[in-house]
Amino acid sequence: MSGSESYKLLFIGEPGAGKTTCIESLSDIAPLVTDVRCTDELARLKENTTVAFDYGELSLGDQGRLLLYGLPGQSRFRFMFDVVRENLLGVIVLVDAASSLALDGLRETLDAYESAIRELPCVVALNKNGKPPSALLEGCEALLRERGMVAPILVADARRREELVRMFDLLFMMIENGVDPKTPTGEATWH
Amino acid sequence: MALTEASREACATALDTLLARCDGVTAAMLAFRDGRPYVDRVRKAPMQGKFAAMSSSLVALGQSILREVQGGTLDHVLVEGNGGKFVVASIPGSGGLLVIAVLANHDARLGLVLGHAKTCALAVSAAIA
Ligand SMILES: Nc1nc2c(ncn2[C@@H]2O[C@H](COP(=O)(O)OP(=O)(O)OP(=O)(O)O)[C@@H](O)[C@H]2O)c(=O)[nH]1
Ligand SMILES: [Mg+2]
Repeated sequence: MSGSESYKLLFIGEPGAGKTTCIESLSDIAPLVTDVRCTDELARLKENTTVAFDYGELSLGDQGRLLLYGLPGQSRFRFMFDVVRENLLGVIVLVDAASSLALDGLRETLDAYESAIRELPCVVALNKNGKPPSALLEGCEALLRERGMVAPILVADARRREELVRMFDLLFMMIENGVDPKTPTGEATWH
Repeated sequence: MALTEASREACATALDTLLARCDGVTAAMLAFRDGRPYVDRVRKAPMQGKFAAMSSSLVALGQSILREVQGGTLDHVLVEGNGGKFVVASIPGSGGLLVIAVLANHDARLGLVLGHAKTCALAVSAAIA
């Protein structure tokens, strides 16, 4: 990596999983946020939802910059992936681990993006619950396995930059060691 | 502000008027600011869920760009290709609740499309007030 290079990472996941929060925590420029007030039942859970994309940047010093993109959570915005897909280095899939519907949320995200992210290094991050039940971890692993996808699963608080940075360490480790997401070799689980 | 059945009908009428009065307009729709369809009127191409989502994205990005360049409030976003035009705008007075999207042929006169879209937006604004 050299100082002038930039690396593009994408955050996806169900509405409310914490994609916008991640980018706000990580960015060292004022992030682009395209949130509007919710007009449907999501308003019971949170006030705002992203309708275009979030964008932030994180300097890696002389190793370059990370360009951080966050997509809307609802699958009606799936088209936005095609806007940001060029030159993606990796994908972070966020899960709302405090929700009783967390696995449904992950399933919906994987169904919408599976074909697009299958070829990319990917990390699954469980947010909003520092101690997710083992059933949730196993459920996430099963959903990945069903699709023949390999991705480490870790627990990270989207509001804490230092926890999020660990995801990048993992992603870069996967990239540098040539983990091939097409050949399942069993999931690594960090938590 | 309440979106009643009567206001939905008045909104549909406003879209019908736009399609009837402005040559070259082939479709028009109202969507919620978070990308769900509300009412649509189509003369040609189908204009459903994806357009509602795209319209809300365009309005949000337009507003973001104007914020960055201190460009004031958004009037409309225009997407123009050699095969057609697409205009989106936020409905005034709706507290940003609704956006309007208008699709027109490439030979439609831009000034007319924008003018009729604005008139329609005001009619919608009155219908949901
Ligand atoms: N307790 C807790 N709350 C969190 C955490 N991360 C995010 N939140 C809160 O959860 C809410 C949802 O976060 P967002 O970042 O808007 O979620 P999103 O994934 O961008 O959602 P959409 O744009 O609607 O798809 C916000 O109110 C955050 O403050 C977390 O780690 N713990
Ligand atoms: Mg968001």
